[in-house]
Amino acid sequence: MTEVSLLSLVKSYGKSTALKGISLEVGHGEFVSLLGPSGCGKSTTLKCIAGFEDVTDGKILFDSKDISRKLPEDRDIGMVFQSYALFPHMTVERNLAFGLEMRRMARSEIAERVARAMDMVQLTPYADRYPKALSGGQQQRVALARALVIEPAILLLDEPLANLDAKLRDEMRGFIRDLQKRVGITTIYVTHDQNEAMTMSDRVVVMFDGKIAQAAPPEDVYDRPASERVARFVGNANILDLAVAGQMHGRTSLSVPGGGRLAVTGGGDTPATRLRVMARPEQIALTGPGEGHLDGRITKRYFSGGHVEYHVETECGTLNVLSPTTQNMAEGANVGLTFDTQRLWPLPDSARAAEPAA
Amino acid sequence: MKRARILMLIAPVAVLIFLFIVLPYVTVLLMSFRAPADGQPYGAGFSVEGYRQFFSQNYYALSLPQTMGLGIVTSLVCLLLGYPVALHIATAPKRWRGLLYGIVLSPLLVGIVVRSYGWTILLGNAGVINTTLRNLGLIERPLPLMYNEFGVVLALAHVFLPFMVLPLLASLQTADPAVRQAARSLGAGRFTVFRRVTLPMSMPGIQSGCILVFVLAISSYVTPALVGGMRVKTTTLLVVDALIDQFQWPFGSAMALTLAISAGIVVLIFARLTRIRWS
Amino acid sequence: MGLVTPLLSLLRALVYVFLLAPIVVVVLASLNAGNFLTFPPQGLSLRWFWTFLNNDVFIDAIVYSLILAALATAVSLVLGTMAALYFVRHARREAEVVRIGVLLPLILPEILTAIALLFFFYEIGIGTQYKIALFTGHVLMTLPFVFLNVTTSLQGRDDAVELAARTLGASRMTAFRRITLPLIAPGMATGGVFAFIISFDTFGVSFILKGTGSAPLPIQLYDYLRFNFTPEAAAVSTVSILLTLVLVTLSNMLFGRD
Repeated sequence: MTEVSLLSLVKSYGKSTALKGISLEVGHGEFVSLLGPSGCGKSTTLKCIAGFEDVTDGKILFDSKDISRKLPEDRDIGMVFQSYALFPHMTVERNLAFGLEMRRMARSEIAERVARAMDMVQLTPYADRYPKALSGGQQQRVALARALVIEPAILLLDEPLANLDAKLRDEMRGFIRDLQKRVGITTIYVTHDQNEAMTMSDRVVVMFDGKIAQAAPPEDVYDRPASERVARFVGNANILDLAVAGQMHGRTSLSVPGGGRLAVTGGGDTPATRLRVMARPEQIALTGPGEGHLDGRITKRYFSGGHVEYHVETECGTLNVLSPTTQNMAEGANVGLTFDTQRLWPLPDSARAAEPAA
Repeated sequence: MKRARILMLIAPVAVLIFLFIVLPYVTVLLMSFRAPADGQPYGAGFSVEGYRQFFSQNYYALSLPQTMGLGIVTSLVCLLLGYPVALHIATAPKRWRGLLYGIVLSPLLVGIVVRSYGWTILLGNAGVINTTLRNLGLIERPLPLMYNEFGVVLALAHVFLPFMVLPLLASLQTADPAVRQAARSLGAGRFTVFRRVTLPMSMPGIQSGCILVFVLAISSYVTPALVGGMRVKTTTLLVVDALIDQFQWPFGSAMALTLAISAGIVVLIFARLTRIRWS
Repeated sequence: MGLVTPLLSLLRALVYVFLLAPIVVVVLASLNAGNFLTFPPQGLSLRWFWTFLNNDVFIDAIVYSLILAALATAVSLVLGTMAALYFVRHARREAEVVRIGVLLPLILPEILTAIALLFFFYEIGIGTQYKIALFTGHVLMTLPFVFLNVTTSLQGRDDAVELAARTLGASRMTAFRRITLPLIAPGMATGGVFAFIISFDTFGVSFILKGTGSAPLPIQLYDYLRFNFTPEAAAVSTVSILLTLVLVTLSNMLFGRD
């Protein structure tokens, strides 16, 4: 169980900079996801930790030891690749044994560890098969076992579920997480799928443009995003730009078009005239016109099995609302929207002060 | 630092190509502008005498259109013979494909001298074809199949047929079979499908194959030499004569360069023509 | 369409015959018992094979060609594989330039390349001595084939396998030896066989650059054929065909192929 520290990592390729100062602490046995759109630097960060890229500046520490200069084969990592990268000319058994052979282990001990690893991922009957005879999910499990059988200090995964179909992905998500918990290994997981990141991680690290936007447990990232960009990336976000009516006692009162008032916690200490707040679709309830904080008209309705999604046209823009199926509104209906003011989240740095008179 | 080690992989080949292809070709270009000399391959100073010698003598200058013509005809013959074969292999069941592929490639395995030699046996006055026709009573005197352009084209077409079939095959195989099926479902008969779908879609292959065969045919030495005897003098043969037998290097280089440029022009015209029709 | 299809089939069959005819003819001619290349043969006999075996010139030529081909192939295998590795794994913007560069000997007319080499070696003072020019020419002609075959076998593969080996503790050398090499071996083998055959049969380069002294087989054959008409040349040719066939069959058996 190892701690990983990234200290102000900078990575440049000639003129362009992929990582602009990444600092992160990953604790013993913690499962951390690097989440972000393509090009945000998450894969580059992983490659730096693995040693396949040299950092231009900054340090990487495993348990307080600087390993930034070490070659990949000396870093004691286990890695699972998006394409699994199984050795096509070796059987499952030989694939698993490879890392142990590199460590010059005795034959008998290798055999024993390999057998245990195959059992752990339920692939014992496939020991003599070649990778091309296995399904995607099976190959995935072999890749996982191969990385874990050497009992490395940390586990790195680079979008391992990207090539699986939806149902298999769901299964494997749980499988990987359970395995990780059982083994207790410090894990860094790269993905662009926010669902994966949220369901699997102890902490989610959201990255944009080579920088960390937020590193926090999933609930914090979801309910209290650090910026509008994080808010939009991690789920559906309704952003309302509202005028400030008053600020007092750590709470801000916002005036809603149509005459209502919304009180939110926070909103900054400096005087501001406008504030942007976020409400998740499931945090808005539909009621009769005039009975909520804001009025609107339903423009679209999508039935989705467990719930119904509405697009509601309001004076604050088109809002996305998720309602239970018991409430059945038709397209074109006029409705009122009620916000869960406890959970309304004022976006940090979105307060705008009064504009000086022209 | 790491980059330097990676570049070591390509360094030997890069040096090889630069030193032994790029530089030598530049040498040929320069050589064509040197003055001819007696007793030595070339003399000092800049001169266009080589080019002048080439264009001012009909024997040499006319070999150029003749060689171009030979190349074009060979290309066409290869196309006509090769297309049905390529079509066959592309649509043949998997089991047969390997064998057919092998038959098409087999001439390549055998060496150009041997193949050209085989043609002399076939085409000669006392050769296979003439003897068979005589024995069947169809002709009285042998047909002149060799030592003329007919024999040379035939032999060249044989030698380079695989180079037409392979690109055609590649082009036919990458074409999506669903497109043909879509055309059939829209009511087109098999011949229409061929004319309006398969043929246009295989155009890239036709283009590559024709260009390849053309260039190979005009640069060929052994085949015209053996099958054409000394009667069919392509520009390439004249170039080699000038260089190896007569040691007239500026003259030979000028001829070679002129040949290369003419071929380039023909290829460009062809590419332009076929491109317009394709798009 | 009632008439077209059978006609097409006939044409196709004729083309296949056309492709094989000269080769068949040569083999048959070599078995001719008579003195001349008449057809039909005047009886069958192996006598021309015995004559050829006693002909030092041809034996020398075959041995010379074999050695030359082996050496050129060896060099091409090393250089071509290195170039292929660079091209598939590391080349970015320069990829197309690299590819065309390595394939240049294939794209440019062989005779022209041979002439260019002749001038070049003459200019630097070596000319056709020591067979250096000849050897260089053969390496150049065989290099593209190794390159093409190895790149094809590399491109079908996932290059993360080497990275995976590194994460499992293998050094770069070990990862290459135990992972990359076994996987490109078939491509190298096919490329090597192609290269050997090309070198063995190539005429243009050998003709221009051979210099004095022993010559490769195709040149020897050509010289002989210009003025002689006995079936001995056919016997030599048949042996050459057989050699190539053996080589291809062996490589097929050992390495399997498309």
